[in-house]
Amino acid sequence: MAKDTCPVQSTLQYLSERIASGVLTDPKVRRICESIRMLVEEISLGEAGDGHMAAIDDLMTEFENRTPDDEAVKTRDHLKQVLSDHREVFVSHIETRNCPSHDCGVIAPSPCQMACPAGIDVPTYLALIAEGKDDQAIAVIREDNPLPWVCGLVCTRPCEMMCVRGRIDTPISIKFLKAFAAERALSDRRYINPKPAPPNGKRICVVGAGPGGLSCAYYLALMGYKVDVIEALPFAGGMLMVGIPRYRLPREVIDREVAMIEDLGVTFSFNTRFGKDVTYEDMKDSGTDAFFLAIGAHKAWDLGIKGETDFPKVIDAISFLKNVAIGDRHAPGKHVVVIGGGNVAIDAARTSLRLGAEKVTIAYRRSREQMPADIEEVEQAEEEGIAFSFLTIPTQIAGDGGIITGLACIKAELIAKKGTDRLAPVPILGKEFTIQADAVISAIGQYVDDTGMTAFDAVNWTRRGTIEVNHASMETSMPGVFAAGDAVSGPATVIEAIGGGKRAADAIHRHLTGMPQPRMPKIPVRRRKVPMIEMTAAEKMRLSRPSMPMLNVDRRRTTFQQVELGYDEAAVRKEARRCLRCDVCRRCGKCVEICRDKMGIDALHLGYLDFDHPVKTDFRMTAENCITCGACAANCENNAMTLEEKDGKRMLKLCGTILNEQEIQTCDSCGAKLPSAQYMAYILDKTADLTQKAERRLLCTDCQRKLSAKNHVPTRPVNPA
Amino acid sequence: MVFKRGNRVEVFQASTDEAWESYMNDFIGAHGVITDPDSSINDPDDLIEVSLQGKGTHRLPQDCLRLLDETTG
Repeated sequence: MAKDTCPVQSTLQYLSERIASGVLTDPKVRRICESIRMLVEEISLGEAGDGHMAAIDDLMTEFENRTPDDEAVKTRDHLKQVLSDHREVFVSHIETRNCPSHDCGVIAPSPCQMACPAGIDVPTYLALIAEGKDDQAIAVIREDNPLPWVCGLVCTRPCEMMCVRGRIDTPISIKFLKAFAAERALSDRRYINPKPAPPNGKRICVVGAGPGGLSCAYYLALMGYKVDVIEALPFAGGMLMVGIPRYRLPREVIDREVAMIEDLGVTFSFNTRFGKDVTYEDMKDSGTDAFFLAIGAHKAWDLGIKGETDFPKVIDAISFLKNVAIGDRHAPGKHVVVIGGGNVAIDAARTSLRLGAEKVTIAYRRSREQMPADIEEVEQAEEEGIAFSFLTIPTQIAGDGGIITGLACIKAELIAKKGTDRLAPVPILGKEFTIQADAVISAIGQYVDDTGMTAFDAVNWTRRGTIEVNHASMETSMPGVFAAGDAVSGPATVIEAIGGGKRAADAIHRHLTGMPQPRMPKIPVRRRKVPMIEMTAAEKMRLSRPSMPMLNVDRRRTTFQQVELGYDEAAVRKEARRCLRCDVCRRCGKCVEICRDKMGIDALHLGYLDFDHPVKTDFRMTAENCITCGACAANCENNAMTLEEKDGKRMLKLCGTILNEQEIQTCDSCGAKLPSAQYMAYILDKTADLTQKAERRLLCTDCQRKLSAKNHVPTRPVNPA
Repeated sequence: MVFKRGNRVEVFQASTDEAWESYMNDFIGAHGVITDPDSSINDPDDLIEVSLQGKGTHRLPQDCLRLLDETTG
């Protein structure tokens, strides 16, 4: 077996070759092998059920008792070996309907799903949203992410980065569609929890109620665990609540989704600091079987410049945003300077503006192009009147009598340091200047606060000051202690924390039930197979990503109302229909090759199929040359490309998009269905020197043959004998 | 080398960083897209999030990555 080939696919190929070669001469052995081949094929296609492995085992037992010749023995021993060495891969195919190596192409996840750190089945829920089945879409999302509404508003959307539609025009607006579905499902009272497993008597302590902790608690609760969440803040949400301002993520959104988790029996202890208000020993004494650490990264780095500790109005962004989240509504100053270039800096600046600051400036030591903040956030900040000072290195906070008067800075230029092409900001001597300020907010990054973690003395920490884990299981070096979220990754994304929490829940369950941990992080799981949506090529190409309606700027500068108002329902349904269904088409390009190289037609202009070098795509152009021969469909392993007959027409469809449709013709002589006129012309051209043309009549091949034979009869030499 | 969101990259070698785990050897040769670069201080030491074709999304040390196409940068 090839080293990197999926064992399921290899077994399928092996059995097919053995059967086709005719070496299995014993009828019973042949029947056993054909039965196993059929079962393995169903496993490969994602169609297998719970009984498949048991059925294969029974057939192998039967095989053991009948080995009439060497070839049968060889086949049996090979199968025995593969099933023994790779049994978990077969089981995984059945349980997850996924092939991690993509060899079993039919069941490979789409790029957007693979891109999601939580592994959400994006094409499935988009197809459900397109059909107005928002509650079903939310149920699909929550199999991998218990906070769809939150993520619909604040996710960094790696899925959209990988969206294949982006290779044609713009990525699908996956994030906002999720938010719409969550809101609509809640409004319809159809956003419901799945039924949890019966209590299993095991108890887990989750430290931290941020997205990682909430995710872990949710999946553990569904598996029947009793979960106690310890949280230092007075509410759940962690950085969702105290790090992200309300104009991006309303508190009600967090509260509603946390309440859903609480409804599963998860208990929260707020205003409780682990290691102080409750200890490791307390939790052990109360019967805790495992711990999950999701303490986040809430400590801000110091600026390290003069004056930093001399003025009360030098504030770190994390404390500032936290205080505002708790209820502080005082402007930090009239002239506020925020130091940093990430999303936290933008959030601190926009929050200062909303609290009444007259002028807010973001000072960043690099150029605009290098700002790590999301481009949308930067643009929205500019619309609201935030000023930016790029290539600006702060040198000192100046002031008098405890009052800040300005931030002394020096202009920088970006120069590549010796031995690297990485540009670093270097001060330009003589280019000093001062930005007027009475408050300075530092937003240059955060780190993990390990206060209260002393009881976990066997947990290793990395040189980056984060908790060291095995990322496949999120297990720390201390048995029974798991971790995820910013405490492991450093300041990262909400969806990454959610994915880590889910992985940890699975790992905790394995730990407590004696199952081995996975070797590497699990590949996302396809949750459903939903039908494709039929539409014309023109519609598929014409649909475009809607623009987001925004709150007016005056209100944005004065209140914490949600800035992005969301799409209306019509826009949502249309946008969901733009999805290319990459869960079905895996972009192998075989259809294009067959059409261009074998048929010589070149009707398929599907430039998006190439990941590294995508070129132009236009579904509408297929109809110009396509002859509906069906060669592309016949060679499509995933049934993404299909040739269907409906209402007197023969249609070529790619994942539901009608690339071409031509009238079905009938034989003038016998009435049998014929290929399209274009296909008939193509065949006649290819065979013109062999077959007499049927004059102007439309004939099927049988009638054509009869006509040719008839025409040939008089020319045949007659044997007088 | 500075990686930005949307850059197409290749995992071209194993990293010497302590964050490199043995299963990541399976990623060598894989192509992907940067989905979350170092989000705070443009630190070459930061782990950055990469979505690898067929391998899922992972946070990797930067010394194992190289840009596939400078024009995407």
